[in-house]
Amino acid sequence: MNSSRREFLKRSASTAVGAIILPQIIPSSALGLNGMTAPSDRIVMGSIGLGSQGTSNMKNFLKFKQVQWVAVCDVDKKHNQSAKAIVDKTYENTDCRAYGDFREFLEKEKLDAVCLSLPDHWHSIISVSCANKKLDIYGEKPLARSIREGQAISAAAHKNNIIWQTGSWQRSVENFHRGAQLVRNGRIGKVTHVEVGLPDGNRSIGTPAVMPVPAELDWEFWLGPALKVPYRGVSHWNWRWIQDYSGGQLTDWAGHHIDIAHWGLGFDETGPISVEGEGVFPREGIYNVAVEYDFTCAYKDGTTMRVANASRQKYGMGTVWYGDKGWLRVNRGDVIEASDPNILKEKISENEIQLYKSTDHFLNFLECIKSRKPTITPVDTALRSISVGLLGEIAMLTGQKIQWDPEKQEIVDNAMASRLLSRPYRQPWTIPTI
Amino acid sequence: MKKNILIISLLVSVLAIFSNCKEQRAYKALIITGQNNHNWQASSPVLKQLLDQTKLFTTDITETPAPGKDMSTFNPEFAKYDVVVLDYTGDAWPEKTKTAFVDYVKNGGGVVVYHAADNAFTDWKEYNEMIGLGGWGGRTEKDGPYVYFKDGKQVSDSTPGNGGSHGARHEFKVQLRNTEHPITKGLPSKWLHAEDELYSQLRGPAKNMEILATAFADTSKGGTGRDEPALFTITYGKGRIFHTTLGHCGNGDKNFPAMECAGFITTFQRGTEWAASSVVTQSVPVDFPNSASVVQWPEYKPLSLDEIVSEIEKYDVSKSRKYIYDLQNRLRSADGNPEVLLSYEKLMVKILESNIATIDAKKFVLRELSWMGSDYCISKLKKLETSDDLKDEVKFALTRLQPSK
Repeated sequence: MNSSRREFLKRSASTAVGAIILPQIIPSSALGLNGMTAPSDRIVMGSIGLGSQGTSNMKNFLKFKQVQWVAVCDVDKKHNQSAKAIVDKTYENTDCRAYGDFREFLEKEKLDAVCLSLPDHWHSIISVSCANKKLDIYGEKPLARSIREGQAISAAAHKNNIIWQTGSWQRSVENFHRGAQLVRNGRIGKVTHVEVGLPDGNRSIGTPAVMPVPAELDWEFWLGPALKVPYRGVSHWNWRWIQDYSGGQLTDWAGHHIDIAHWGLGFDETGPISVEGEGVFPREGIYNVAVEYDFTCAYKDGTTMRVANASRQKYGMGTVWYGDKGWLRVNRGDVIEASDPNILKEKISENEIQLYKSTDHFLNFLECIKSRKPTITPVDTALRSISVGLLGEIAMLTGQKIQWDPEKQEIVDNAMASRLLSRPYRQPWTIPTI
Repeated sequence: MKKNILIISLLVSVLAIFSNCKEQRAYKALIITGQNNHNWQASSPVLKQLLDQTKLFTTDITETPAPGKDMSTFNPEFAKYDVVVLDYTGDAWPEKTKTAFVDYVKNGGGVVVYHAADNAFTDWKEYNEMIGLGGWGGRTEKDGPYVYFKDGKQVSDSTPGNGGSHGARHEFKVQLRNTEHPITKGLPSKWLHAEDELYSQLRGPAKNMEILATAFADTSKGGTGRDEPALFTITYGKGRIFHTTLGHCGNGDKNFPAMECAGFITTFQRGTEWAASSVVTQSVPVDFPNSASVVQWPEYKPLSLDEIVSEIEKYDVSKSRKYIYDLQNRLRSADGNPEVLLSYEKLMVKILESNIATIDAKKFVLRELSWMGSDYCISKLKKLETSDDLKDEVKFALTRLQPSK
């Protein structure tokens, strides 16, 4: 116990924490943390959803000695087996428990926090269930499959006063932070337009034949609130190409490059006032999300943001802010570039806007669990980011220009489009009362 | 006596049928083909079908003698026609045929230059004035400037070089440069064209020429990096010429996506009517493509709503969604207009109530109704609430249509 606690302090000390600007000052940061009230020495965690992303997230958490992983939960027994093996190997024991039903998992386990890496159509019910148990949540992006579900998750997180971290990890990476900070502090002048490039759509696989459900998979539970369909071999990971479970690359990546665009604009607490555009949906095969998408959002201050699949974008993937003094682009692979290289050399002085600094997305969550301060990607930021993607999807599905009230977070004067703000659930599933 | 009356009345009705036909078919069109570096055997019947199905044209096809054969017999009666469609590139025509053709156009005849017809007759001065721009066939700066768009403006470029090129076939956007011309009025300002050759570096006299639409020849596809003319008109004497570079129909190809493209078909039909008459009376089809999606008409014609409905009734998830896609596109292009949507809603309810429609078709309808349905469908949906096959989807739709307070 003692050794892990020391380990924790050491690790925290070498990393920027919350609003602390100069992490090099080791003693003060360590003391600062020491003085905070911790719920316990160890953060007891488990995870629901252990496909590739869930496993990767869990492995990232397991690196931290202040975490104690006690249980895993997935509707696929093979996922559970391999996840439990990873946990057991880490602790050199066989203690990790595995569950097929998240309700039983939540009932039996005494946890501080959970890591959720689920298909989008399960986000709302499980996130709210966890929040109602007062568990702090690391939840994958996008926040939810629909805006109403996202609003419910936000309400549950606030009501239960939990710490929420979204898997929008780009905010914890230096080039994105630097780019957003330069833009936010006017280094390209007043921003008038943003271009966001997200991945191109999938290739069709046609319609595979109905096939027996693998013995390890609880297909009925996997579908859960979504409409019942026979099993055709499409579940893990590839769920993101089917509208019942996902909005495709658009909603999958809204929590990355749209999220970063908002950060640089200072729009974490607002949204567009109108969204219009077009999508190309496949004519063949089981996959039915937009394979191409191209829509433009207008914000109250006149800023516009175009979101399109990468091959429609001049610069491909990433976020490009255009200001009246130049442009600045960020993308994965440490890409940060600008119309004038001198922009990138600019210093940000102490009395300018300091964007939240984190250098490790998982550690940021763990530290906020202790400190009870907001994470770098709290629930409402995630809601604003995915709302752009989901409103774009609604504009494409209805063929209509959508007017949006970013304060009330409601579609204005369009009953038809408003219906697409939510997804009805199949019985017996409902979002738990918050 | 009775017999005579019968014969007379029969005669009258036959005459009436004839005269009706004449009223329906306003124009006579002649397609000239028989030689081409493209698959003219495939393309020319399609062009005839496209014109005939507008019910505006009676279309004949005439074939020249084969390459190298005696051309002296080739002498169509141009004057009988309102419009001549050229699907020809090959041997020179006899002088008297050329003269007759020039006279026909000078006197107000219409001409449509289709795709590789602009490869023909490099050395025939009048022909090149009619087509405005041409390519290949040894065309160089001696034949006229390159014409294209740069930075939104038309450029006439006398740089020396060969006329005519294209990169790899691909889907590309066609952008209107004149939205007020009868041929283009009412079309979206940009639309995605099916896989085709993007004709580039055309050059020619370009006199009395008006560019209606261009296509950007992306260098990544081996293009010029310019906005190249795709649709244009020329006036020659009193004659009107419509030139479309679109619609490649390749030798040895099994499919002709460019010719199936709703954008090609619609502009060809409208352009031919304009060349024949200077006006366009055809309406723009509801499923005309936008810049996001290619729309192809596999039988070279748009589907009627009844056809779409009967195809959707047969839908199962292992089949193509193209008919469903068509209906979805119509719902989207209604732009929230409640009257238009109600007319579709009624058809969709018919599918729900149909004894022959598949369960998958009904499930599709229920999902769409969930967002665009009105009160009209709610009572009909309630009758299906206990259906074993559909109850989940019915509940899904009703939950959206009747949100709880």
